[in-house]
Amino acid sequence: MTNHAPTRPIVYVLVWLVLLALLALTVGSAFLPLGWANTPLNLAISVTQAALVMLFSMHLRSAHPLMKIIALIGFFGIAILITLSLFDVLTR
Amino acid sequence: MPTPARSPLMANGVTAFAPQFDDAEQQRTASNLGIWIFLATEILFFGVLFAAYAITRVRFPEAFAAGSRLTNLPLAGANTAVLVTSSLTMALGVHAAGRGARQALVGWLSLTVALGCAFLAIKAVEYRFDYLEHLVPSLDFRYAGPNADQVELFFYLYFFITGVHALHVLIGIGCITTIAVMASREAFSPAYFTPVDVTGLYWHLVDVIWLFVFPILYLISRS
Repeated sequence: MTNHAPTRPIVYVLVWLVLLALLALTVGSAFLPLGWANTPLNLAISVTQAALVMLFSMHLRSAHPLMKIIALIGFFGIAILITLSLFDVLTR
Repeated sequence: MPTPARSPLMANGVTAFAPQFDDAEQQRTASNLGIWIFLATEILFFGVLFAAYAITRVRFPEAFAAGSRLTNLPLAGANTAVLVTSSLTMALGVHAAGRGARQALVGWLSLTVALGCAFLAIKAVEYRFDYLEHLVPSLDFRYAGPNADQVELFFYLYFFITGVHALHVLIGIGCITTIAVMASREAFSPAYFTPVDVTGLYWHLVDVIWLFVFPILYLISRS
């Protein structure tokens, strides 16, 4: 880490409350008949939750740029893997 | 493991960092870099499972919807709240380590371990219900509806993904317990608490992965 200013505990508590609210939102939305939009909505909420945990609890916000790049490489790898695999399955 | 109290890494000892580093800051960055590279491989490891899931679900959407409706949403939802809360207690533990508050650190770590055990206990109850409802592939799988084979495929993925995730929670509990014991023996100080820091990062990542596992397995076509 480059920035030593510690995150204040209240930030962790706020992140926790938002995560629980988003959990209620994702479960609640699953019971709405949104058709094809249900899954993208669930996943968008998951991405938001993951971003909150990684930026604040895992201190990526104030981390060395190298850590940010490595964290993104993991998700970038998954995105390539899933997208290219689906190209095959969806175009048969 | 050598007695942490005599470790050369101790801040109240002669040096606060190992000889191969220029300063404590460089050592800290190197440790963080190491754990982040490991976490990236973990993201890719679970990524393969998510890719297998995506391909299978695109091919058999009805069977995945039927399978998902048979999973236990109340228990899984409660488990998500437990894991998210354990992430909070871990973050507060790392914060206490940075302040040098030993008792608070041990307390938060113990609470995190307790919540991790609660997660596994709820998971075990959930697996038991799955077994009683004949939803365990290979062992006892009975499904009367259409596309039974494809629904079984969903449950193969369900047990594999949740099982591997539960294994990560178990390993995390072991690591945090070790860190808590080290902390109670005064192994850490505000100048050196890297083991607490990196264990926290691992625990948060296990939480992040669950935040994706939960909707894709439990929330398909509930409406």
